[in-house]
Order: sequence, then C-alpha cells, then structure tokens
Amino acid sequence: MSKKTLVIGVIGADVHAVGNKILYHAFTEAGFEVVNLGVMVSQEEYIAAAIESNADAIVVSSLYGHGELDCRGMREKCDEAGLKGILLYVGGNIVVGKQPFDEVEARFRTMGFDRVFPPGTAPETTIQALKEDLQMTN
Amino acid sequence: MEIQNKRMSDDEFNAIRAQVLTQWPTGKEVDLQESIDFHKKLPKNKIFSLKLKEAKDKRITLVQPRAGVALIKEHIELLTYLQDKGGADLLPTTIDSYTRQNRYEEAENGISESIKSGKSMLNGFPAVNHGVNGCRQIIESLNVPVQMRHGTPDARLLAEIGFAGGFTSYEGGGISYNIPYAKSVLLEKTILDWQYCDRLAGVYEEAGISINREPFGPLTGTLVPPCISHAVAIIESLLAAEQGVKNITVGYGQCGNLVQDVAAIGTLEELTEEYLHKYGYNDVVVTTVLHQWMGGFPQDEAKAFGVISWGSSVAALSKATKVIVKTPHEAMGVPTMEANAQGLRCTKQVISMLGDQTLTAAGLEQEKRIISEETRCIVDKCFELGSGDIALGAVRAFQAGVIDVPFAPSRYNAGKMLPARDNNGAIRILNAGAVPLSKELLDFNKDMIEERAKFEKRKASFQMVIDDVYAISKGRLVGRP
Repeated sequence: MSKKTLVIGVIGADVHAVGNKILYHAFTEAGFEVVNLGVMVSQEEYIAAAIESNADAIVVSSLYGHGELDCRGMREKCDEAGLKGILLYVGGNIVVGKQPFDEVEARFRTMGFDRVFPPGTAPETTIQALKEDLQMTN
Repeated sequence: MEIQNKRMSDDEFNAIRAQVLTQWPTGKEVDLQESIDFHKKLPKNKIFSLKLKEAKDKRITLVQPRAGVALIKEHIELLTYLQDKGGADLLPTTIDSYTRQNRYEEAENGISESIKSGKSMLNGFPAVNHGVNGCRQIIESLNVPVQMRHGTPDARLLAEIGFAGGFTSYEGGGISYNIPYAKSVLLEKTILDWQYCDRLAGVYEEAGISINREPFGPLTGTLVPPCISHAVAIIESLLAAEQGVKNITVGYGQCGNLVQDVAAIGTLEELTEEYLHKYGYNDVVVTTVLHQWMGGFPQDEAKAFGVISWGSSVAALSKATKVIVKTPHEAMGVPTMEANAQGLRCTKQVISMLGDQTLTAAGLEQEKRIISEETRCIVDKCFELGSGDIALGAVRAFQAGVIDVPFAPSRYNAGKMLPARDNNGAIRILNAGAVPLSKELLDFNKDMIEERAKFEKRKASFQMVIDDVYAISKGRLVGRP
C-alpha cells in the first residue's frame, strides 16, 4: 500500500514549534509521508501544499488561543480549491481560556473539522484516528 | 545587511523614528518630551527599575504574573485583581500575538470581535491599537510597576507607544524575540530593530528616566541548556548597554533539577556582570528573573500547583530578583483571573517560607563551574567570530550553529544541537552540533547522559528527548520508558 500523505503545520501568527517538531517525527515514524509547513502557516499555504502533494489529510495545530479566528472559513476554502471532502483535523489549545471541551469540539465540528483534539493529546491518539479515517489496515 | 555593536547616531535614530511612528495611526500620539514629563511625575512605587534595585539589595524575590486581554477596561480589571487578590509585586501587560507580528489590522478585528462576543478573542492586550492614552489608563489605575511583555521581532512602534504610555519595563531582545518567536526574520534585522528599542530606552535614561530592559531568558522553554540561554542573555545585555540602557534583568527558565537551577541563576548574574565590566559598561544594574517551568504542564490543577511550588522553591533558593509565575490553567492556555491569582498566592507562600534559606547542596559549586565554563566557551567564540564585535559575532554564531537553541521555529537557527536530561534530571547536551564546548565539557555531558541510558537500558536518542518534553505533564521530570 502506498504511503498516505499529511500536510501539517501551526496556523496563524502562532510560533509554537515544539509539538510541531514532535508530530513530524511521530507521524513519519508511523509510516506517513509528512509535508511539514512549520509555524505561522496561513490557510492558503495548507491548501496549496495539500494540492501540490495530493495529500490525504490536513492536520492543523494551534497553541496560542487564536485558533477560532484563524480556522474560520478553512473548510469552505478547501472546497473552493477543489479539496472537497479532504480530511481536516485541528488540535491544541485552540481557544482563549479554559472552556468546556465538548463545546469547543462542537464549534469546530460545525466549522467543518472532522476531528478536534484537546490540549495534551498524545501523537499516538491522532495516529490511531488517522488510520481509522483513512481506512488503513495496520 | 551589516551590523555592529555601536551606539546608534542621533541622525540614524531620528530617521528610523520618523518612519516607525507612521506604521499605525496611533504612532502620531507619541511626543517624546511630553512622555518624559509623564514619567517624571510617576510616583516611586510605579517605577520598575527602583523596585528591582531595592529587591536586589535586600535579596528578596518579587512575584509577577503574565496577563493581558483585548479591551482596556477588562485589562485594568484583570490587573487590579492580580494586584489586590494575588498580591503581585510587579504587573505585566502581555501583548497579543497579532500585535507581536505587527498585524495591527487583525488586532483591530480581534478588538471588535471581543466587543461583539463579550469575551476576549485575543490572547493579550493590543497596545499599539489602543495607543498612548490607552496605555496610560493602565499605569494610572495601578499601584505597582507595570512591564510590557510580548514576543515581538520588530517591537519598535510597540516600544515607542509603550514607553510613552508610561510602562517602566520592556521585555525582549534581538535574539530572544526572534529565534523562538519567528520563522523567517533575519537575525541582522531583529538585532538592528532592537538596537533601536534599546537606544530609545537610552534616550529616556539620558533624560533621567531609567527604563528596565529584560532579555527573554527561557527562549523556547524546552530543554534549553543553561549555557545557551546564558550566552544569549549576556550578548543582549552587552547590546543594550552599548545603546545606553542602565537597568537590565537577565532571565532563565527553570529546568527542573534544583542544583542546576540554583547554579544557573547564580552564574547568570555573575557572568553578565563580568562581561559588562570586561567590555567597559560599569554602571549597569543587573538583576535576575526565574521563569517557573515553561514546558508542558499537567492538566490537573492540583498537580499544576505542585509544578508551580517547585518553581517557587527554585526562585527563593536561588535568590532570583523576581519570579514569573505560572497558573493552574497552564495546560489549557490563557487562565482566568482567579486561577492567575491562585498561582501568585501559591508562589508567595513558598517564597516566604524559603526566603531565609540558602542552598549549599553537594555539587552546587561543580555545577556553577560547568555552566560558567560552557557559557564562556560560547560567548568568547562569538566575540572571535565577530572579530571583537558582538553584534556581528552573534549573527555569525547562529549561522555556524555556535549558538543553537533547541526546538526553535526560526530557519536561522541550526537546530543540530540535541539536549536530554541526565539521570538526575539536569539538562545536558547529547549531541553538541557546532556548539564549541571543550573536549572535557563534551565528555562530561556525554557521560552524564550515558549514565541515564544505561539505567534505562536503552540507547540515548531523539525518543529520549520526546519523552523528556512530555514528562512533566505526565508527572515526572525525567522521561523514563
């Protein structure tokens, strides 16, 4: 089976690089082809990279609280760019302050994200979800 | 772009200044003489440099939170609460991330979204958008000194507005607000832009207003060996002093091993003073700041208080001049004001219990010797690379990987050096990359990590580093398999 391709990066004006470097390492170890855009990535950059690499999923990280402002309209932009139905994940500290996670999750699901991960999610959890959603057997 | 560590001429400064003040409409509000007069009228209890000097003389540790929200009224309420209910000795105004990237339009949008939704949609206070008078409302409402804290590579307009707005302390520096805070901004550019900020502080200093400057110590806050953050702090202090800054606070992020942390704060102050004197800056007051654990926190609030208490112990036992406090909401991002005040009270309790104690642990002197020798290897190499000029030397040092900050987002950082904890939890260097330590120091670092690898029955590798990054949020210091 050919490798599945992921586009990863930290959205907006966010420069948190530690988790990004760890996710790159963990996803690569788990057998994915990873296009890592690093920090401070715009919606357009994720979409351009996903088109160019024929990606199977876009995995958005946000650690600084502006995730809600930064992620708005991303699903619609994907649709317009011809990436209809592409798997879209978001995770991290994606809102300002401590808010009940089920409410945060519901808000981001409504925005079109397929999965929403809370702060402190282990890379293995995301890898497992990717394998399920991309119907990988191993 | 050629830079050097030389005081900016008045002509050069004024030419840049004319341009900086047009970057956003609020720049027009800045009037230097009127601002100096405003500072002259500030009561002593609102002046950062005085309070730090007093704490240094008395060898006490002051507490300071991080805090900032989008709107002026709510921001003042937040700081008032931290002053009155948290007992903060010093207050911050943490700037939002759009402002840090000079994206004032987006900050403006964040302000209107915050008004609309009735909650702060920004992770800090957009000071440029609020302007000089917005800032002065903050200073006038509080009884303790207030510092601007941010993470802005080009912080020139923010400095103009912040100083004119009455802030008496300003965090940041050309290296420490670039390498951990930017992706592709040239180091030459940020060093030059911060020479401007330091020169502005120098202009105030010459008018009798001593504005405290604080290089950002913890860098990426992730397994940074003390010698790396010390080297950056010393270089930024030399750069600031050349522009006329006279009150500097050098910082360090808690690593987690008590002996290493106490040794680090001690050597940070000694080495900074040593290098300032060596290069002819003899009238600079140097104080220190310990940042409580900057890495990932436990989700559970009780466990988070454990981490906060441990950082408070380090601050008290190392006699740091101030400590920057974390909160029980750390794992969740921006805290409520109640949680923030709890972090302050927890810290004050520990500091007042330990304030009279001095650590004389076995190994402390050895650890101080190691950190000092490592730091000198790096800083002296920087001078050599710059043919005696530390601004040029710093740029070349990053190009060569001589200074190498782990986990930094900047493409101008080599990222070859790999740190890991030793069996006692102290941060050591597993792979030095191009960091120019002597063979003796390299062997010492390697042996310390090897001891842990043997204990854990595995090879030292990147997996060990990942385990260390996650360890504290999982309740350990050393990331064991």
